[in-house]
Amino acid sequence: MRFLPLVFKNVLRKKTRTLLTMGSIVLPLLVICLMGTFLRALDRPDPAATRGMFRIVTRHKVGLGSLIPVTYAEKIRQLDGARAVTKFVWFGGRYRDQSSKNFFPRFAVEPETFLQVFDDAKIVRGSAEEWLSDRAGCVVGANLVKRYGWAVGDKIVLVGDIYPIKVELTVRGVFDVPDGTASALFFHRKYLEEALPAFAGTTGTIWTKCRDAASATALIDVIDRLFENSSYPTKTESEKAFQMGFVSMLGNVKLLLTAIGAVIVGVVVLIAANTMAMTARERVTEIAVLRTLGFQRSTILGMVLGESLVIALLAGGLGLALFAAVEPGLQRGLLSTPMGAFAASMRLFPEVLAVGFAVAVGVGLVAGVVPAARSAQRSIVDGLRQIA
Amino acid sequence: MAEPFIRVENVVKKYFRDTQALTVLDGLNLDVTGGDFVALMGPSGSGKTTLLNLIAGIDRPTTGKITVGGVNVSAMSESQLAKWRSNNIGFIFQLYNLVPVLTAYENVELPLLLQPLSRAQRKKQVELSLSVVDLADRKSHYPRQLSGGQEQRVAIARAIATDPKLLVADEPTGDLDAKSGEEILVLMERLNAEFGKTIVMVTHDPRAAARAHRLVHLDKGVLKEDITAATGKISVGVAAAAAAAVSK
Repeated sequence: MRFLPLVFKNVLRKKTRTLLTMGSIVLPLLVICLMGTFLRALDRPDPAATRGMFRIVTRHKVGLGSLIPVTYAEKIRQLDGARAVTKFVWFGGRYRDQSSKNFFPRFAVEPETFLQVFDDAKIVRGSAEEWLSDRAGCVVGANLVKRYGWAVGDKIVLVGDIYPIKVELTVRGVFDVPDGTASALFFHRKYLEEALPAFAGTTGTIWTKCRDAASATALIDVIDRLFENSSYPTKTESEKAFQMGFVSMLGNVKLLLTAIGAVIVGVVVLIAANTMAMTARERVTEIAVLRTLGFQRSTILGMVLGESLVIALLAGGLGLALFAAVEPGLQRGLLSTPMGAFAASMRLFPEVLAVGFAVAVGVGLVAGVVPAARSAQRSIVDGLRQIA
Repeated sequence: MAEPFIRVENVVKKYFRDTQALTVLDGLNLDVTGGDFVALMGPSGSGKTTLLNLIAGIDRPTTGKITVGGVNVSAMSESQLAKWRSNNIGFIFQLYNLVPVLTAYENVELPLLLQPLSRAQRKKQVELSLSVVDLADRKSHYPRQLSGGQEQRVAIARAIATDPKLLVADEPTGDLDAKSGEEILVLMERLNAEFGKTIVMVTHDPRAAARAHRLVHLDKGVLKEDITAATGKISVGVAAAAAAAVSK
């Protein structure tokens, strides 16, 4: 402990270099924490299930591009454990232009059953009655209202891309959900059916609100078995699994993020190790003098390693503090995007912070061990000779 | 006859470069009595610094034996040597070798950190050492804020902080102007005369050697001349003549 002040003095010897080294640890650490948070959010238990939503989603077994008969909804409604059933059709289309900044989910739904299945959604402006009574009416998520400044009574025009029609809608309500992910627009399914009668008998997905968690688990198998020998076999899964399916479309996201994280850690170790080696090289004579005075090899090893560790710990602390400061803002930003459902699961996970801190400590140890060992092993005479 | 404080017996030191062996010291014998002030002179490559390093226990002889204060230094392990150095040897380097991020006080305190002393005890020792070299008022100065002579005095304070019996100095005035060099030599004389320190000093400078009681000349790893002053001090003329004779 009595050598700790000397370690700190050496850390501050070249402040710019120390700050740059810390920066080279802090920034990747932020990325690692972010990726760790994403990975952890992917693994989180179904938040809807834990809030007692017990929703499951049925779609065509082939994929979301294939439709299933609307008659399936009635058959599912009659199953034991099904409390309410509603049908979703992905409308897609363009709002204003085709840029990604104006992208948000747009669905044609049955308003009556929609409100039964999504009974956690609350109409915070306008009313359900106004929406139900206006076939050209729609409800929009609170996040979209924040983004576009819409008000009840405003007109919204969507130009179809899958369906060759233009829908002109009136905002009749604004809804919000407890996890803050209300970022979609819902309008009457009948509007679509009247404009395109050919689609009247089909739907994209069927959402079922189950009586309880056990019913939800059981119904997943029951529904798929019910339709397995039909022309339209189904795949049923929990709401969370369905949402995560979109993420998995990107490929093996976990493997990708883990691989990127490993590469980043490797690069940081190399940068920090190079800095520590440079620092130790510059002090060859000084270290030789310390050993001349009687400092043991182990003390020199500890001091050089301690220096690397102190830099890594300071950078780790700073990195985690920065991440804790930016994470809520990042989550807020993602909530109003198509990744909203995923963002709702984001938290400051203690295990992610612990891993981040462990990475910082690991970087300090690995980066410092070779220069420290070399400094301790170099002969005093060789070290003193470098004076000239 | 009393046992010498330093005894160098048949010491051979070879350095190896690949398969080539370079003999730096070749069967050297030397005795130094306690409280003596010895100047080691000789041309570059004569083995002066190597001999100093061996006596101070920072290098080991290839063969032969070195005893300091009754302790066989050449038989000690690396760790034992480090501990022995911290208790028994004070080093004075040509380029002072102070730690630039530490103040004069902290530099002098460095060797004391290895001793089982409390902070108060260390403070007392540091202040005493700095007062001996007349730099008590500069204790909070960093090396860059001191002149070369002052830096060397801080280095001497560091060397005497643990109160070692033996001081080894490698060209202590080699990087100083004449006035500062003179001050350092006076200080070393004082450490020898008043505090009883045994001093072994490597030097090229006849004026520095003239402060010693004994002049040892090395050439090509062997002892060429060993002059002990009859009057207590080597004269500058004798030192210069000896240096010239060896360099011929």
